[in-house]
Amino acid sequence: MIPFKRFGPFENMAIDEALFRTHQKEGDPPVLRFYGWERPSVSLGYFQDAEEEIDCAYCRGKGINIVRRPTGGKAVLHGGDLAYSVIGRENAPPFSSDVVETYRIISGCIIRGLARSGIEVQIVEDGRGGSGSTEGFCFATSYKNELLAGGKKICGSAQVRARGVFLQHGSVLIDLDPLAVCAAIGKAGDAARVREIEAAVTSVREVIEGDINIGTLSRDIAAGFEEVLDIRLVEEGLSPEEEALKDRLLEDKYMRDEWNMKGWRAGRGY
Amino acid sequence: MSFPDDLIYSSEHTWVRLDGDIATVGITDYAQDKLDEILSVELFPVDSSVEQGEPFGVIESVKVMTELISPVSGDIISINEDLADDVVGILNSDSYDTGWMIAVELRDLGELDNLLDAETYVDYIEANEEAD
Repeated sequence: MIPFKRFGPFENMAIDEALFRTHQKEGDPPVLRFYGWERPSVSLGYFQDAEEEIDCAYCRGKGINIVRRPTGGKAVLHGGDLAYSVIGRENAPPFSSDVVETYRIISGCIIRGLARSGIEVQIVEDGRGGSGSTEGFCFATSYKNELLAGGKKICGSAQVRARGVFLQHGSVLIDLDPLAVCAAIGKAGDAARVREIEAAVTSVREVIEGDINIGTLSRDIAAGFEEVLDIRLVEEGLSPEEEALKDRLLEDKYMRDEWNMKGWRAGRGY
Repeated sequence: MSFPDDLIYSSEHTWVRLDGDIATVGITDYAQDKLDEILSVELFPVDSSVEQGEPFGVIESVKVMTELISPVSGDIISINEDLADDVVGILNSDSYDTGWMIAVELRDLGELDNLLDAETYVDYIEANEEAD
């Protein structure tokens, strides 16, 4: 396990991808990582169009970095969230080659962990919800096995698979600022959109009606993994190989506008 | 699910249709079913080179994003541009014909020996299902 630490958005994605790309050998133990964001940031899904989904000028003006994730899904405004990633082999226990089953297993661990912090959440059992102009925003839709508190989304996740390895990362929303979300997606001052988000999304602070320490929350979720999977997590940092790949990905990919703004449309080389 | 006998298959859930030294490649009915509703596909461009067992693109569904792994090595001579317009309608309904992805001029026909016939592929996916 890599314990909670805040990084910039580019470094966060470079670390997740480096862990994913270096996790190739059978028998490599799965990795659980917790992280936060040094500054407000927007992450885009792999296939999303930055100009279409985000008010890029607004984000630049506010110092909000835009980073493209190695996973699919929709845009997320980061800052008031606890992010996690899990990297493992898809056929190695406790995970499954079945994508939904792996989501379900990881969700079960997060549910147990959140319960330790006094947050009761449920798994989305069917289909996708969400509509309207905020649908490019991740928390406005809920897919099977994502997590709801009181019927509203509180944790969204995405998964990428390659060569038998998966990376699942996601965010537990600690604070929700619908006005900031609307501004970032180009709907500043749109009262209907704000209501739409308020109706569909909640946060840890709203659920517990109080404050929470993000480090404590991450340790509770880690304990949830230990309890549900009957394992003992061992704290480690990045290996030299992971660190070197992270630095390379940071420089060649995640700090580059070509990747973050255009992604695959800019041509290959990533 | 269907697995036409005239195609050859890879354990990475792609199919190959051979015409001389040109291989047309796509994903199997099993792959599209497992992925669920497919949202986007990115394919390597024409003239790029692919290797057996290495990526030739990525595909995103409502469940997951995953690399597309090439069953053959060679140069891509054409890609299915229709997928850019209607990936949702094509791949989940017809992954073997209108859902073809790339055509590759093969570098090494001997590599085809590493692939599976329809019957062996079906055995392979059944064994995988049981393992889960």
